[in-house]
Amino acid sequence: MENELLKIAIAETSVIIRSGITVALKRITGFRIQPFEITSNESLNSYLRTHNPDILIINPSFWGYYDISKLKTETQQPSLKCLALLHSAIDESLLKGYNDTISIYDSVEQLNEKLEKLISSPSNENSDENNTLSIREKEIITCVIKGLTNKEIAKELFLSSHTVISHRRNIAKKLEIHSTAGLTIYAIVNKLVEIDEIKKNMLI
Amino acid sequence: MQHKFSANHKMSDLINENHSLLLVISRFGVHLGFGNKTVYEVCETNGIDCTTFLAVVNFLSEEAFEVDNAYENISINTVVDYLKNAHTYFLDFKLPAIRNKLIEAVNQPEQNLPYGLIFMKFFDEYVVEVQKHMYYENSTVFKYAKQLAKGQIDTKYSIAIFRKRHNEIDSKLEDLKNILIKYYPDKGSNHLLTEVLFDILSCEIDIMSHNKVEDYFFIPAIEAIERKLKAAK
Repeated sequence: MENELLKIAIAETSVIIRSGITVALKRITGFRIQPFEITSNESLNSYLRTHNPDILIINPSFWGYYDISKLKTETQQPSLKCLALLHSAIDESLLKGYNDTISIYDSVEQLNEKLEKLISSPSNENSDENNTLSIREKEIITCVIKGLTNKEIAKELFLSSHTVISHRRNIAKKLEIHSTAGLTIYAIVNKLVEIDEIKKNMLI
Repeated sequence: MQHKFSANHKMSDLINENHSLLLVISRFGVHLGFGNKTVYEVCETNGIDCTTFLAVVNFLSEEAFEVDNAYENISINTVVDYLKNAHTYFLDFKLPAIRNKLIEAVNQPEQNLPYGLIFMKFFDEYVVEVQKHMYYENSTVFKYAKQLAKGQIDTKYSIAIFRKRHNEIDSKLEDLKNILIKYYPDKGSNHLLTEVLFDILSCEIDIMSHNKVEDYFFIPAIEAIERKLKAAK
């Protein structure tokens, strides 16, 4: 999804490199990035445990070499994505368990590509398609704002509930509107429905 | 670690450096008109705990923050009052102001479209969500925190409960923002619409940083006290 909030923890002892990464991350567009700088071993552990970050960027030699898989188990973060932050060439065997590496010489574009690769999931594959609604999706919006449940919509349009749910997910993604109330306004200002129809149902 | 602002900075410099701190300063109960007084002097005059004030100000003005465990010197009562004042600001001032501007901006009586009503209904639903969210914090979480600050530990509640249920409340506001930016059929130049959108965008950022203080400053500080009190038992 566009502008998804990404919590990124940066574990690195050098303040210059740490804040440099923070600034570089801020220059990436398309994500809302919330960086957290971490300076000590204890902070890393307590931070991971309590704040469920999406990505950890860590100097592999940060407070001694880390066993990444052990860190993930101990802090109960099995799905944490880890990027090794490399200052210089390093023995490959120390990079076991990392999803990818970034170098302090990477460009903002390279960082962006790596982040996108890291967080892309199968559901994002068709995000290049245009964002206009299909006729079916418009029909579904009309049903949603009449207050029909997914089951009722499925019955009315001769679809399976599963299909309705997946349509609704696509609508939310295309429009970036997630609430039913928001969809109602969208439908009214874009004349998908007659205002009188809404008045009957919403008791405005 | 060396932080951005210290007790010897002029209070007025804080605002010039980062104007969003103006909101923070007022939520601490500082009145404007402090001349050339330093942060320390202004806090002293207004009866505010200076360490806590600086901790929040630095927390909010540093791009990223370091997770450290220096919660010992923070006054929980000061933090709670600050957060409560922020709630009052949102509920009693900012959201009603946006509501008025919004209705005025979207009303199109000449076309006989009751947009004002529709947007108002949407906005009011959003405000009810915010009210519930903040009311729970005021009545349960902050009460618990103040007890804890007195050294009394309530065994029925813990801040972990709050951490788990502290949900985001900005999704409806985000919907509203997207509708106005992407889908609202704006007719010609409408300064009112630009103005209210600008307010919504800054309010969104303000609520986000307010939640950041709760999640990454207030909660860890409370956890530290919980640990200390449990260890002492």
